[in-house]
Amino acid sequence: MMAEKIIPAVQINNLTKIFPVPFRKEKVIAVEGLSLRVEAGEVYGLIGPNGSGKSTTMKVLLGLISATSGSSAIFGLSSSETASRGSVGFLPENPYFYKYLTGAETLSFYGKLCGLSRRKIKERTSELLSLVDLENARDRRLGGYSKGMLQRIGLAQALVGDPRLVVLDEPTAGVDPAGSRKIRDLIIELKQRGISVILSSHLLEQVQEVCDRVGIIFQGKLIKEGKLEELIEIESQTEIILEHADPKILDQINKLVQASEETRLLRSGKPKTTLERLFLKETRAESEDVRKDA
Amino acid sequence: MDIIRKERALSIVTKLKSYSYRRLLLSLIILGGFGFVRIPIEMNTEKMLKEQGFRDWSPSMSAREQLTQASFVGSIGGFRSLIASIYDLRAHQAFRDKDWASVEKFRGVTTSLQPRFAKHWDLAAWDLAWNAYAYYRNKSEWAEDGVESWQMKNIMMPRYLEKGLEFAKQGAEWVPESYRLSMVVADIYSQKYNDPELASQWYLKSSQADDAPPYVFRAYATHLARCEGKEEEAYEVTSSLYRSTRFGTRALTLTVRRDMERLEDHIALSAANEMSLEQLESAALSNGSTYLDYAKLGMHLLEVKKDLKVALAVYREIVNDKKAPLFYSRKLLMFLARNPANQEQAYEALKKLLKRSPEIFRRQDLIEFTKLETSLGASKNNREK
Amino acid sequence: MSADKVKSVKEDLVLQHKLFSLSRVWAIAFNTFTQLVRMKVFYFMLIFSVLIIGANFLFLNFTFEQELKILKDVSFGAMTLFASIFSIVGTALLIPKDIEDRTLYTILTKPVPRFEYLVGKLIGIIFLVAVSLVLMSFLFFAVLYFRQHGILAEEIKMIRGGATDAQKEYLKETIFAQGVRPELILGVLAIFLKAAVAAGVALVVSTFASSTLFTIIVSLVVYFIGHAQSLALEYYFPEGQMHGALQRFIAGIVAVVFPNLQMFNIFDGIITGQSISTTLMFRLIGLTGFYLTIYSMISWILFAKKEL
Repeated sequence: MMAEKIIPAVQINNLTKIFPVPFRKEKVIAVEGLSLRVEAGEVYGLIGPNGSGKSTTMKVLLGLISATSGSSAIFGLSSSETASRGSVGFLPENPYFYKYLTGAETLSFYGKLCGLSRRKIKERTSELLSLVDLENARDRRLGGYSKGMLQRIGLAQALVGDPRLVVLDEPTAGVDPAGSRKIRDLIIELKQRGISVILSSHLLEQVQEVCDRVGIIFQGKLIKEGKLEELIEIESQTEIILEHADPKILDQINKLVQASEETRLLRSGKPKTTLERLFLKETRAESEDVRKDA
Repeated sequence: MDIIRKERALSIVTKLKSYSYRRLLLSLIILGGFGFVRIPIEMNTEKMLKEQGFRDWSPSMSAREQLTQASFVGSIGGFRSLIASIYDLRAHQAFRDKDWASVEKFRGVTTSLQPRFAKHWDLAAWDLAWNAYAYYRNKSEWAEDGVESWQMKNIMMPRYLEKGLEFAKQGAEWVPESYRLSMVVADIYSQKYNDPELASQWYLKSSQADDAPPYVFRAYATHLARCEGKEEEAYEVTSSLYRSTRFGTRALTLTVRRDMERLEDHIALSAANEMSLEQLESAALSNGSTYLDYAKLGMHLLEVKKDLKVALAVYREIVNDKKAPLFYSRKLLMFLARNPANQEQAYEALKKLLKRSPEIFRRQDLIEFTKLETSLGASKNNREK
Repeated sequence: MSADKVKSVKEDLVLQHKLFSLSRVWAIAFNTFTQLVRMKVFYFMLIFSVLIIGANFLFLNFTFEQELKILKDVSFGAMTLFASIFSIVGTALLIPKDIEDRTLYTILTKPVPRFEYLVGKLIGIIFLVAVSLVLMSFLFFAVLYFRQHGILAEEIKMIRGGATDAQKEYLKETIFAQGVRPELILGVLAIFLKAAVAAGVALVVSTFASSTLFTIIVSLVVYFIGHAQSLALEYYFPEGQMHGALQRFIAGIVAVVFPNLQMFNIFDGIITGQSISTTLMFRLIGLTGFYLTIYSMISWILFAKKEL
């Protein structure tokens, strides 16, 4: 059987991007020899500290910047082609949209840019506004939106053309925990619909929850890449979580461990939740109480 | 972002640099090419604009000297008409302040900026040849110092008059299609220089414009009539005016009537002095003779032969001719009144005529009439006494 | 995913993508239009122009020729000022603002070619200037119309003993000749054409300039130099006086590089009664189109590979 050639959503080969510094001989190497690949339908996280080259990589991918050397393609089409963006949605970092447009008008504008018919635009607008929970701000000008609302309308705008690849640059930066949670849920939903996602973030914890694969970028180079599970597995350690543990069983386990030569018990006790989960739990409980009282 | 690796990156960067320079170069080439292509088209367009009268002002150095910097820039920038209007206002203000030097300067500006706007020239001539002139005339009359008075009279007045005339003449050149400025020139020659010949020439010129009102042609006729030695020509014009229906009966103004009478008198008198009785008689009695021939004969009889009786008969003939102007009736009656026997009769007839057609009585006729009245009244009184 | 299914994604994209889409351009143009309209600056300028036109009623103490002339001069001055300044400033705002707010990223990451983006912006602002000029000229013509009729009535009243029909006709002719004439519309059109070229210049400058202020300044300088074009041309092809070779060379460069905006100043002539031939008008329109095409092309070249 012929090997089926599956075209990945994103294919970047040996990308190098050098920025000349004006009036000086030195240059800035933003990205060096980076190769990565995002399969169709997966969520890929590009993580690294500020200034490591994440945004640059995305910009090259999206054709906003041209590569110094190397190639970059979306669904097989080179990034330098306008057609490659036919099925892409992009949410830039800290976006501002046109302040004087309302939420609905914004989506309508981007819909027209994607070539959608008027009817389709109407449909998508309503659909997306409810998806990102901005229906009640539909006719309010974006100038009056909060940061979280802007982020959400940004996401809606990225989705308006029914894209098969969504690129998110720091999607949860500066967003409060509840909003952040929503965005992450949305990303998971996108994945379930078969939409490929590539996102960049320096908020490592948040990335952990949604990504299938992860690439760590540092000083312009991709230093590690792979499935999330595999990467963060601490290989030499095993975790067992028990519910309603009987002290006797714990004792037995202890003894077994001590009997082994290599195995060592590192820690036992109550596992910790995250501060974020605690916060969400408490605030949800609060709002439920409020609703009960009302 | 402070990773620096000179050697490896150098080659790639030169490629990058050359690419962006290539873009810049390409843009400049396109811009230049476009420039070369459009320049002949634009020059041609400029020529068309000039032909159609849109380039009456050019931003030359002399223009720059005339205007303030802002005005110069504004004039180039498409606000030329507005700037001209502003200088118009400034000139008006200067006129109020009696600052004639500024008036002259500002009027100079408005007329250079918009030479095809007749009003600019009109106001310029008006301000200088009339307003400034009158001002200095007043000053010269009221001046305490004889020197100052002389200065006003012999330097300032003529100067502004000349300047005003110059403006009017230049304006007439720039706006030939309008009657206005030629008329102003004529007015100046007529009212200020008392030169009926030049005035008549300019009135004629003015009357030939499409928008000339009827009175301009009349002015031409009148001034022509005042020129020495041009009586024949003047008579042609005046009589055609007199008889024409082109301007309606309103055109038959007092001036035309007076000129008509004066010219006919002049013609009759010269003929009377130059020709013999026989010549005049045969001319009057020939076929196709007009009342004018009779008038020549009558004048000869009156002035040369001093034969009142026969002259009266001739004038009666004239009055019977329907084509003869009405003032001959008055003339006849006046001649009749010379004879004391006919005085009362003549007086009554004159009175009726005066009531009916007062316009044919000139000032001297009215004086004579009054004298006649008085003498008749006196003699009446005497008789009654 | 099977090979067929996956391959079709690429084919889909290629097939779907329209090389040039008028609706995309129009979406950007209309968006630009709305943006500028909803900006308060626009309202202030419009009100300013309206005030100017209305202020004409102050100059009532002169002859009617002067009065009507001043009315026309001030109104046209206001319209020229508004149109030129707005087209430069408005265009200068557009692209740097989009870049600063990163909104540009959201637009160019849709399948929108950069050329369409530029053209859309340009069309948007030109359209806005056109609409404003139409509004202002409506107002202007209305004021002029009422004033000329008012003047006619006044002048007729002033004739002692009542005016004859002939006199009324004469007055009407002379007064109306200074009032509303169809040629005035051509004057407004010329203002529009000049503003359009100015917008084109600003577009070019904004593609390589980094800030709005810089764009405005450079565009204004080009705008002024463009008016002194005829001076430059006279220098380059001197009629009579010979200038130095260097002067001629510089003048030549100026003539080639800078737009000739002087030729749009036909209003000064129209107001004194000149008529402009249709050929000439078409030529000006054609030249404007030519300018805009070239400027769009150059903007695209400079913008196409610009790092964002």
